[in-house]
Amino acid sequence: MRASDISQASLIPAKAGIGLRFQHHQGVLDTRPDVAWMEVHTENYMGGGTPLRYLDAIRRDTPISLHGVGLSLGSAEGIDPAHLERIRKVAERIEPGLMSEHIAWNAVSGTYLADLLPLPMTEEALEVVCRHVDQTQTYLRRRILVENPSTYIAFGDSIIPEWEFMTAVAARTGCGILCDVNNICVSAHNHGWGASAYIAALPPEAVGEIHLAGHSIRTFADGSTLRIDDHGSRVSEEVWRLYQEALARFGAVPTLIEWDNEVPPLEVLLQEADHAAGFIANADGASHANAA
Amino acid sequence: MPTLHEMQTAMHASLVRRDNGAVSAMLAAHITADRLDIYRNTFLFGLTKALRLSFPVTERLVGEDFFEGAAQFFIAEHPPREAWLDQFGGGFPDFLRSFPQAKSIAYLGDVAELEWAVNSALHAADVALLDVAALGAVKPEDQGRIRFAAHPSVSLLRLAYPVDAIWRAVLASDDEALGKVDIESGPVNLLIERRETGIEVERLDEQSWLFVSTLCAGQPIEAALNIAGGFECSVALAEHLALGRFCRFELAAPETSGFIHSTAA
Repeated sequence: MRASDISQASLIPAKAGIGLRFQHHQGVLDTRPDVAWMEVHTENYMGGGTPLRYLDAIRRDTPISLHGVGLSLGSAEGIDPAHLERIRKVAERIEPGLMSEHIAWNAVSGTYLADLLPLPMTEEALEVVCRHVDQTQTYLRRRILVENPSTYIAFGDSIIPEWEFMTAVAARTGCGILCDVNNICVSAHNHGWGASAYIAALPPEAVGEIHLAGHSIRTFADGSTLRIDDHGSRVSEEVWRLYQEALARFGAVPTLIEWDNEVPPLEVLLQEADHAAGFIANADGASHANAA
Repeated sequence: MPTLHEMQTAMHASLVRRDNGAVSAMLAAHITADRLDIYRNTFLFGLTKALRLSFPVTERLVGEDFFEGAAQFFIAEHPPREAWLDQFGGGFPDFLRSFPQAKSIAYLGDVAELEWAVNSALHAADVALLDVAALGAVKPEDQGRIRFAAHPSVSLLRLAYPVDAIWRAVLASDDEALGKVDIESGPVNLLIERRETGIEVERLDEQSWLFVSTLCAGQPIEAALNIAGGFECSVALAEHLALGRFCRFELAAPETSGFIHSTAA
């Protein structure tokens, strides 16, 4: 997809944005906060009525990125063409600056499992994901970004390190990478990887967006801990440090603050975005090619 | 080595049927099977939350714990079929009607059915409204053959209990009004729709409800009048049109069920 295919006004700048949730629809319209862009979950705007009207109104002043949670790029049974068409319709209406999905799966045997489930890191899974990224990009007639997962389990058959899997998907399909720094922090802890090494292994030219969010830490009776990607708190210090490493490697990249559980007042989201903006301003390489 | 599909089928069994057997054997050596609980909890929590958003009055009537328990049984029996979760929960009213633990609240399924209609109206597609000028151009002798397509937000329900009154009282947290509802006052005929101003739940008399139900089912005006029986329809029809309850019309063929003319808005 060429950059000229998207109107200039809709492009997502290499600045800090916030995830827009229903709780803040009215607040955003009333206060018109000074935020460079916003991202929404595509699935929340597939019907008619009020949500779409809010998004239409907000879209007039603010570039929007569409982030899907339901396409299931990793499903062995294929992706649901009806869902892909629903995504296309939302995109047609909103004209998003970026569109993204996940390296995950959630559909099997005609059931939608309503979570971003982990894939085994195998050549078979890589081929399945690449086939579906191709199918999606062809259908939507644009490039998408794919997000690295947060995981709590791993499969015995996994032989490809996750960062190599991500890199291979981008290389084989031409898609971009949505680098979720919080997910890297969570998964690195849960599986004993080096988070910095993960970031250092991703191809900078493919990274078109960064996600930041809060996670929690669960401690078990034996003293072991597991990090849970619950998007229910401020970004942790550890993730901010990793974020600076990411900016140093990738250059200034559009960066999103995500918060999905116990969504705080809009002001808190804007504070977090301001914090990210400060790091972006300091980052080497003032401009980074937008993934559009 | 299991295929990707075998792994996904095994994970499905773990999440939906709590059967960890197959997937446990596929996990890496350092992963204990209890980590699967995190995924099952997320699966159940997320879908329970979706049901809670769609059935708030039902939840208030039975309490959080009961609702959660019922939701978990429902999710295991009827997991969502597609990733558009606005569509998840249509089977919940009938599930509640046959849920033994809910038997003592006879009207619970009716309340849930009303809430599902409200939910459907909230999420219904935006469609262009009917072209009233084109409708006005239909010759008087052909008007009986006009048949409409209902706006997707419109639902027509005939329920055994006065659940509209219960629904309003619970939403308003009005215990006095709730106490005054006479459960045995007989069935109600309801029209639920999304208007510019929000969701409306309106109680209709028998004839009005039969007339608009028949029209919304795609039958011609003539047939709707026959079913409603000696009914002065012009006022009702004007109201339906003014409130945008129809999005298209066509003329049914005089003698067959086919069409001779079609006009879309």
